[in-house]
Amino acid sequence: MMEKVKKFMARGNTSWNMLLVALLVLEFVVFGIANDRFLRPALLFTSINDNLPTFMLSLFVTLVMVTGGIDIQVSSLVGLTSITIGVAWQDFGLPIWGAVGVAFLLVTLCGAFSGFLIAYCRVQAMVVTLGGSFLYSGMALLVSTLSKTESYLGISGFPEDFRFLGTYDVGGVIPIQILIYALMLVVAFILLHKTKYGRRVVLTGVNQSAAEYSGINTRRVIMSTYVLSAIAAAIAGTVVTSYLGTSRSDLGGDLTMDVITAVVLGGTLNTGGKGSIIGTALASFLIAFLRFGLPLCFDVSTQYLNIPVGILLVAVIVGRTATSGSGLLPWLRSLLPGKSSERASTSGK
Amino acid sequence: MPKATERDQAVEVQSEEHLPTVLRKKDILLSVRDIHKSFGSNDVLKGISLDLRPGEVLALIGGNGAGKSTLMKIIMGIYSPDSGEVLIDNQKVDVSNPKVALAHSIYMVPQEPMLFPNMTVRENVTIGFDAKQADLDRELESVMDEIGWHLDLERKASTLSIAEQGMVEILRGMMRHSEILILDEPTSALTFDEVSALFKVINGLREKNIGIIYITHRLAEVFQISTSVSILRDGIVTMQGPTKDFTREDLVKGLLPPNAGIVKETAAKEARAIDYSAEPVLELQNFSGYGFKDVSLKVYPGEIVGLAGVIGAGRTEMATTIFGRDKVLGGKVLLDGKDITGLSTRAVISAGVNYVPEDRARDGLFRIRDVEENTTSALLAGSALGKAFLNVKEANRVADGYVKNFRTRVTGLEQEVGGLSGGNQQKIVIGRAFATAPRLVILDEPTRGIDAAARGDVYAVLQELRETGVSILLISSDMEEIVELADRALTMFQGRINGEFAKDQITQDNLMSASFGVTKEARSA
Amino acid sequence: MQYVKKLLKARGLTSALFLVALFLVVGAINPSFLTPGNISACFNTSVVYTLVAVGMAFTLFIGEIDVSVGANIGLVAAVVGTLLRDGQPLVVACGAGILIGAVIGLINAWGVAIMKAPSLIFTLGVNGVLRGVLYVYTNGAWVENLPKDFKDFSAVTAVGDLTVYYCVTILVVICIHLLLTRTKRGRYFHAVGDNAQGATLVGLPTMQTKVLAYVICGVMAAVAGIIFASRIGFVTPQSGNGYEMKAIAACVLGGVSLLGGVGSVVGSAIGAVIMASISYLLVFMGFSSNYDNAITGIILIIVVVGDALIQHRSIVKNRRARLMARVSDGTTAADADAEKGGDAA
Repeated sequence: MMEKVKKFMARGNTSWNMLLVALLVLEFVVFGIANDRFLRPALLFTSINDNLPTFMLSLFVTLVMVTGGIDIQVSSLVGLTSITIGVAWQDFGLPIWGAVGVAFLLVTLCGAFSGFLIAYCRVQAMVVTLGGSFLYSGMALLVSTLSKTESYLGISGFPEDFRFLGTYDVGGVIPIQILIYALMLVVAFILLHKTKYGRRVVLTGVNQSAAEYSGINTRRVIMSTYVLSAIAAAIAGTVVTSYLGTSRSDLGGDLTMDVITAVVLGGTLNTGGKGSIIGTALASFLIAFLRFGLPLCFDVSTQYLNIPVGILLVAVIVGRTATSGSGLLPWLRSLLPGKSSERASTSGK
Repeated sequence: MPKATERDQAVEVQSEEHLPTVLRKKDILLSVRDIHKSFGSNDVLKGISLDLRPGEVLALIGGNGAGKSTLMKIIMGIYSPDSGEVLIDNQKVDVSNPKVALAHSIYMVPQEPMLFPNMTVRENVTIGFDAKQADLDRELESVMDEIGWHLDLERKASTLSIAEQGMVEILRGMMRHSEILILDEPTSALTFDEVSALFKVINGLREKNIGIIYITHRLAEVFQISTSVSILRDGIVTMQGPTKDFTREDLVKGLLPPNAGIVKETAAKEARAIDYSAEPVLELQNFSGYGFKDVSLKVYPGEIVGLAGVIGAGRTEMATTIFGRDKVLGGKVLLDGKDITGLSTRAVISAGVNYVPEDRARDGLFRIRDVEENTTSALLAGSALGKAFLNVKEANRVADGYVKNFRTRVTGLEQEVGGLSGGNQQKIVIGRAFATAPRLVILDEPTRGIDAAARGDVYAVLQELRETGVSILLISSDMEEIVELADRALTMFQGRINGEFAKDQITQDNLMSASFGVTKEARSA
Repeated sequence: MQYVKKLLKARGLTSALFLVALFLVVGAINPSFLTPGNISACFNTSVVYTLVAVGMAFTLFIGEIDVSVGANIGLVAAVVGTLLRDGQPLVVACGAGILIGAVIGLINAWGVAIMKAPSLIFTLGVNGVLRGVLYVYTNGAWVENLPKDFKDFSAVTAVGDLTVYYCVTILVVICIHLLLTRTKRGRYFHAVGDNAQGATLVGLPTMQTKVLAYVICGVMAAVAGIIFASRIGFVTPQSGNGYEMKAIAACVLGGVSLLGGVGSVVGSAIGAVIMASISYLLVFMGFSSNYDNAITGIILIIVVVGDALIQHRSIVKNRRARLMARVSDGTTAADADAEKGGDAA
């Protein structure tokens, strides 16, 4: 059994994932002791529900970052999805699922557009998706002006069968949107770790030139990851619209930091070439429970939660650079007086 | 012997302490004493001692991993040694960073030029000096006059050729009035003309009493340019002394591990029967592209065709253009009579051609991924590893097969290839090319930068593979290699094929002459 | 033609031309725009962006990035605001603000230059922490009731309709530009970003240069925060949010490359004016300010894609020209040799 688990994890960063699991367990223990309400499934599910867009986006942004890119536009696509659904349904009279389809099409095209510029015009991903985040949030705002409803109010009153997506609890316990997330998790995991496509994504991220020489169409691979992350944004936007019951252009506006934090904390190399879907998922749970547990158990104001999350991100990235040999230790050594102490100790033997 | 010199040295240091600087300078410019350095459990330098005198050109040779670069980086202050000391002008110096080395008039021209691509040549040469720009400009002009190079100072470094970049690096070293100049394989990217220009400069510098450490892989250059030679193998100096005391054979002996050497001779050399009436596997008809023109050649089933020439002759460009990496300007590529001209890399691979790139690190390796992933990366194009889902079992089987057949030294299929030696990395990249079951493999400098033992292994592997009927186009600047392996050889010069040699005509002399554009008739005339 | 090409290469200049063209186009659509007052307003509103963008440019020159400037602005604005509100003298308040900026710069420098953490992610984390600290400091409340003098000073003009703030900022930008281009050490920032290893090898103080870049960036953002407080007159816990992205966009518009080693502070200052005036210009063109983000995004994308395509084309062209130069024209080797000798001379 253990052997199987090991094999299963082998493609990810096993030891890193184990560390994340340990931290998660620690959270449960500490928060659970401090306040046993933390352990109630209903509350836990609520905390997940509130963070679900981050969860969903980070899964597929992992793919983008494995290719060595970055995607800071996904959060703006969440808002674009939401408002497009609302306007298409309320003001253009489309059936609700038709509206969802229109939103998916639009958002996928947006992802493809950015991906095309990154892959085929060789513009840095950071800059294109920065421009994309302006453009698509701007588009969302413009779409909202097509509506007779004032944009700050948001469009609401969606039919029941749409609301069902974000509110129905399977068996009365598990929210259906968490099942959707689970499905996305499985798909992302299989895509990255079990398919030839995933292998291409990884190799492209390690060394694009070598991947080209192996006959991999790296541009198509790179572009596809942005399309996938856009689709994830469309799903997240749909689910969150359903969950909140309102369609707004600014939904998901500030998720970027959380998404990047989850992906990096999950063990994906920011230089590309290595990453783990399981790690990303574990990391996003870690962050979500931290944001949920601290206010609940230690009465920390929710507005302060950026501090622990930020510190976590900074500590992880510094810690990982340090252990990879080029950071902390040499720095500590350089602080030692004379700098020759290390030399003296080895030459003494 | 070394002990004695060391003691003499110590005496001299004391006695010379009172002498004026001018006199002391005549002595030893640089000496390193008993340098040890290890990275983790890997002992790279195991007690190296070297001396460099004014006007000396010390050739430092040795295989990859012998420790040459590490030693130079210690002298430059990029690494600090675990033990041992560096003396400059007979004084112990703690070279803790490159600034200290530069302050002591040491300059290294690295193997890969380290220019600032977005800055002009002028800025590249003069950055880091405290003097006034006008003074620097004047000095730069006079230095260029002196050595007879004229570069446009306002050009951006990104537009310079590799050779020109090397020149800029040398200018930097001269501007610093370096008394000690380290040249790390300066000719590896130069054309013949550029090499002779460089040698002229080196001789000039020597006359000005500058000490030069000249690192190279090419034994011929040792005799052409150096006054003394040191051979490094596995972190120790195996031989050193004045160049005139050595023959080529001596050097080779010093490079090879103690018990190797003889084995290579046993490789079967009998002419193989190649059926030249058969349809050629690969045929190029007036094939033209960027860097080569009107190339026509044929490779027959089971044949190894050597393609000799100097670096920059257009061989790599031709190979990569066949491989779909650059635009075809004219002509045709036929594989088994089928036109594969201008196809994408993926299509070329599935048609049955594969290519082992010249620059292993840049175009070949996925450093942070494992042996299996590296070996099977080219198989992702076909359906050998499954349609959509990855058949890991099959991938492991393929990778394992190549590891065993090629005797690649790995701890397991999960080992990251970045940590392997150059020879083992190369075996993996070669394995990848053969894993796609090609009709023809183009090997581009397959043994460059790998040590003698690994080289022998690669040769054995290639001999075995050709038995399976695969044809090989072997691009190499190492004439010995072509003599050893090829059934037929072609030479390329300035983008065109300029010579063809049957098995019995393949000699280093013939290949070398043709590679440098000297045809038999021209030489006799 | 050669001259035009050279001009195009000075990317700072093309962005300036772009800005002029933008003004002219808007003026053509709505002539009432072309008054000194309106044009000055475009510059005046850009003052905070300009300062942040110029600071950001330093981190981009060295090949890194700093996305903590947004929270930096907010925190400094809040601290300076509360100190002034509580009656502290201006010097103390501003000094405290600038000190905070410098400390933030040092923290970022520690992480990026010394610990060698990837800058985007490290500064993203710092941004989160600072934002949280801002909440703790203000308790989530707005900082209001700033001294009237402090607020009014933002409207004081120096030259024509240009405010004192903007004029001083421009002087600072010009000084920085001269320092960067005319002094030896000024070139170090670009050199480090261009080739860090090479910089070490020729003995440049790589580490100090990186630390300095981050401290400058932090201090510039702090100054921007002070002016932000003065111009807006109140500070919320969200103040400064998103300024990091706008500053990066301004730099990119001004020709600064995110790969390091390329660009000028003047370019990024012009980029900041473009960024800041888009919403103002839209009003004159008869669009609602809703178009602001979309237009910004489109301009940004067009500029970077254009840059990338031009650059890629010139690289490919150079490479191909170099390769073709090596090919002999098929005559005898001796001829080719002679020809090559001629080339080299």
